[in-house]
Amino acid sequence: MAESFDVIIVGAGPAGLSAAIYAARARLKTLVLDESVPGGQMKTTHKVSNYPGFPEDVKGADLAKAFSTQAERFGAKIRRAVEITAHDLTGPVKTFELDEEEHVSAPAVIIATGAKPRELGVPGESKYRGRGISYCATCDGAYFDGKEIHVIGGGNSAVEESLFLTQFAKKVTIIHQFDHFQAEPMTTAEALENPKIEVIWDSEPRAFLGENQLATLRIENVKTKEVRELATDGVFVFVGYVPRTDLVKGLVKMNQWGYVETGEDMSTDVPGVYVAGDIRSKRFRQITTAVADGTIAALAVQKFVKDHRQAA
Amino acid sequence: MSEYVKEITQADFEAEVAKSTLPVVLDFFSTDCPPCEALAPKFDAVAGQFAGKARFLKIFRQGNKDLAARLGVTGSPTLLFFRGGAEQGERMSGEEIKRTAIKAQVESLLGA
Repeated sequence: MAESFDVIIVGAGPAGLSAAIYAARARLKTLVLDESVPGGQMKTTHKVSNYPGFPEDVKGADLAKAFSTQAERFGAKIRRAVEITAHDLTGPVKTFELDEEEHVSAPAVIIATGAKPRELGVPGESKYRGRGISYCATCDGAYFDGKEIHVIGGGNSAVEESLFLTQFAKKVTIIHQFDHFQAEPMTTAEALENPKIEVIWDSEPRAFLGENQLATLRIENVKTKEVRELATDGVFVFVGYVPRTDLVKGLVKMNQWGYVETGEDMSTDVPGVYVAGDIRSKRFRQITTAVADGTIAALAVQKFVKDHRQAA
Repeated sequence: MSEYVKEITQADFEAEVAKSTLPVVLDFFSTDCPPCEALAPKFDAVAGQFAGKARFLKIFRQGNKDLAARLGVTGSPTLLFFRGGAEQGERMSGEEIKRTAIKAQVESLLGA
């Protein structure tokens, strides 16, 4: 027998947890599912400087904990490290099978599964993942104590995390495809002034090479076409994100990049299926915009569930 | 940590992994590592499912750097699979490790 809820939220990042706070406070029986621990991308961000209400930098992991504690205070049930092994979101009752053994259902779902780090798609990348290539600076930075490492990317994540990595590494060389960073000007200035950081502009990785472990990074200058091989102890990749849409692929309308199209109230074209946060088609993806999406989705779901109850 | 998971140090590697008669799954973990926290309950659950058939061990990377370096482990969490003392199959690392994937790989270790 499936345990039933008013709303099931998938993904405990800032969008999902904001939705949980609003849904639980509206007295909806709320379940949040996450295959990891709460926080989404926030939890592995070493510091957050632009989230209002925190005049000093806050650790992403601390912010994540604060979000989930707040949601649980109002009665939202958060399930950690749970895997969705089957699901059906098409009918009026949405169902999930968890860890091949448990079943839960609700008339409404908010899919807030966000996005995951984009892989480069460069030869050797999967071979050396965990053998020199990493996508999480907070997790793996300490492995590179006193080493010379490379960072691929030039957006906020790449530049912020490079600064973090200077705590451990002797030298951090950023490889960026353009001749300037896309990161915020304040972060950019801090990185360019840091004596441990060097930048190779206009260049892209072409291959990862080594024996059992990554040893060499091959890059190409996109303007001069010059190809070089750099000795490296490790490479961190921060080249943006891809939406995590496994649950709704083929079900809801998506844009050409695979992000889900919604109405202003976060509804999709399937009744009772809402999405919020980075998974959604929109121009900007920040913690603040995820929080806004989650709030709106929960308010819309509140009305949907009320109508559903009256109809039942 | 469940009763089916044992934490070891690099000094135990020979006895616990290399000379183990049962297949071994070894988890390198770190502190300040949310993906490691996320893996822990999945690792415990799968360990329970294979009790008596395979051994599930954890090793703290920061305290066992030499072994991590010797095995070429540079990220947490990383799962390594051993049979007859030799590493088998693909390693798993990072946040995307699924419970069903660990289970499948242990099954193939047992069946092969």
